[in-house]
Amino acid sequence: MEHKVHATSTGQEVIMHGRFTFADHENFRGVVQLLDDPSAKRFVFDLSGLEFVDSAGLGMLLIAREAAERKKLQLVLRGAQGQVRRMLDLGRFDALFTIQD
Amino acid sequence: MTVGGSGNGGISLSGCRVLVVDDNKGSRMLLGALVSEVGVGHVEFAADGEAALAVVEIFQPDLVLLDVRMPRLDGFEVCRRLRSNPSHADLPVLIQTALTGDDSRADSFRAGATDMVSKPVVPFELMARVRIHLEKVMLIRDLRQYHERVAQELTSARVMQQGLLPPASRTEALALRHNLVIASHFEASSELGGDIWDIFEIDDHRLGLFICDFSGHGVTAALNTFRLHTLARQIPPGNTPSQWLAAINATLKPLLPPGQFATMLYAIIDTAADTLTYASAGAPSPVVGDASTSLLLDSMGMFLGVSESATYVNHEVSLAAGGFVFLYSDALTESLASDGSYLGDAGLLDLVRDSARVEPQGRLDAVLERFFDYVLRPLTDDLTAVWISRR
Repeated sequence: MEHKVHATSTGQEVIMHGRFTFADHENFRGVVQLLDDPSAKRFVFDLSGLEFVDSAGLGMLLIAREAAERKKLQLVLRGAQGQVRRMLDLGRFDALFTIQD
Repeated sequence: MTVGGSGNGGISLSGCRVLVVDDNKGSRMLLGALVSEVGVGHVEFAADGEAALAVVEIFQPDLVLLDVRMPRLDGFEVCRRLRSNPSHADLPVLIQTALTGDDSRADSFRAGATDMVSKPVVPFELMARVRIHLEKVMLIRDLRQYHERVAQELTSARVMQQGLLPPASRTEALALRHNLVIASHFEASSELGGDIWDIFEIDDHRLGLFICDFSGHGVTAALNTFRLHTLARQIPPGNTPSQWLAAINATLKPLLPPGQFATMLYAIIDTAADTLTYASAGAPSPVVGDASTSLLLDSMGMFLGVSESATYVNHEVSLAAGGFVFLYSDALTESLASDGSYLGDAGLLDLVRDSARVEPQGRLDAVLERFFDYVLRPLTDDLTAVWISRR
């Protein structure tokens, strides 16, 4: 998985591409640290470029969610499609995150 | 402090064995003394090439210190013969050679020498080189032993994990009593898996059945399957599937660190009511059908271990005589073929429909045969598949 980070007026956006799997563990740790930014109120994961997510990838999103919850940040998952969208639906991520098309 | 000696805090070489080969008695004694000074516990000697080859077989040295000019076989030939024997291919051989003259140094390497020490002997250099090469031998040996030990432990853990699955004697007895055909396949990916499934009797017309897949694989996921195996036995099997999953989730959630979760499906087969009642925590969609039709069922539900307050939904479908239910882990639908494709839900449904046409005993085999036909081995995720047909 490759990612780019954009700062917006209300927080940060992480644009993710490729396959999000166990191999991204180290890489994603850095992303979760971005949640420490004290000025952020809202954090968006743009998943529209993701082709595939496995259970480890979903687990990392859940880790980000716990970190965001502690900091009272809103976490948004945006643009998921195909297999990624089906996985989010399957695990009822709509009850855990703000999901946007 | 002794330079190059055993007292410098390095690895102990007292268990090491060194063979000193030199036709000059004085040289042998000097070299032997220096090697002992490094801390080597066992030193053996040979006075010519042929004797050297014989002693190597008996003494099994960790390193050979070899002179070049000797009667019978010279040092180069000894080295070449050692290298031609696969069991000595990695044996460090240090050839003593004059500092001047590039030819003999090139000859030494061509003969297969690991390194060279200068002749006449420079004690400091000889001791340092012997120590370096022996330390390397010891480190590689340690690493290999560690590797072997871990591999052995993983093998026993795998056997223990297999023991969590329902034994054939139980599934056969249940199948007989409830007029079913129960076929199952379990295959851990690399070493240990995060999949587990079980089937048990609730009463004379109901069976409880679950399939569960912990996120990730390897040791952590495998340990979680042991947890679940214990937990599952503490929940009354007669609870409705949604109650059953909620109870498992409430117990599991505080035990799992953030990011670890499980997908699970619990189903009750009722042969008197001709129904299958199930609840799912995001497990792959089960397939229910008969010889003429197969359906992928809704299996949405929050993963286990994510939220303590998660609730689950009961679904009831018809499962009459002649009907079947097929449960599987996502390795079946998501494992990649060499062209990067994977089965997916639609491919799975086709595969199950085709396989449902054969006799109940052969259905799971039919699925697996086609799956293993295209999928890349070894699998990168654990595969569990359970096909239960009513007669």
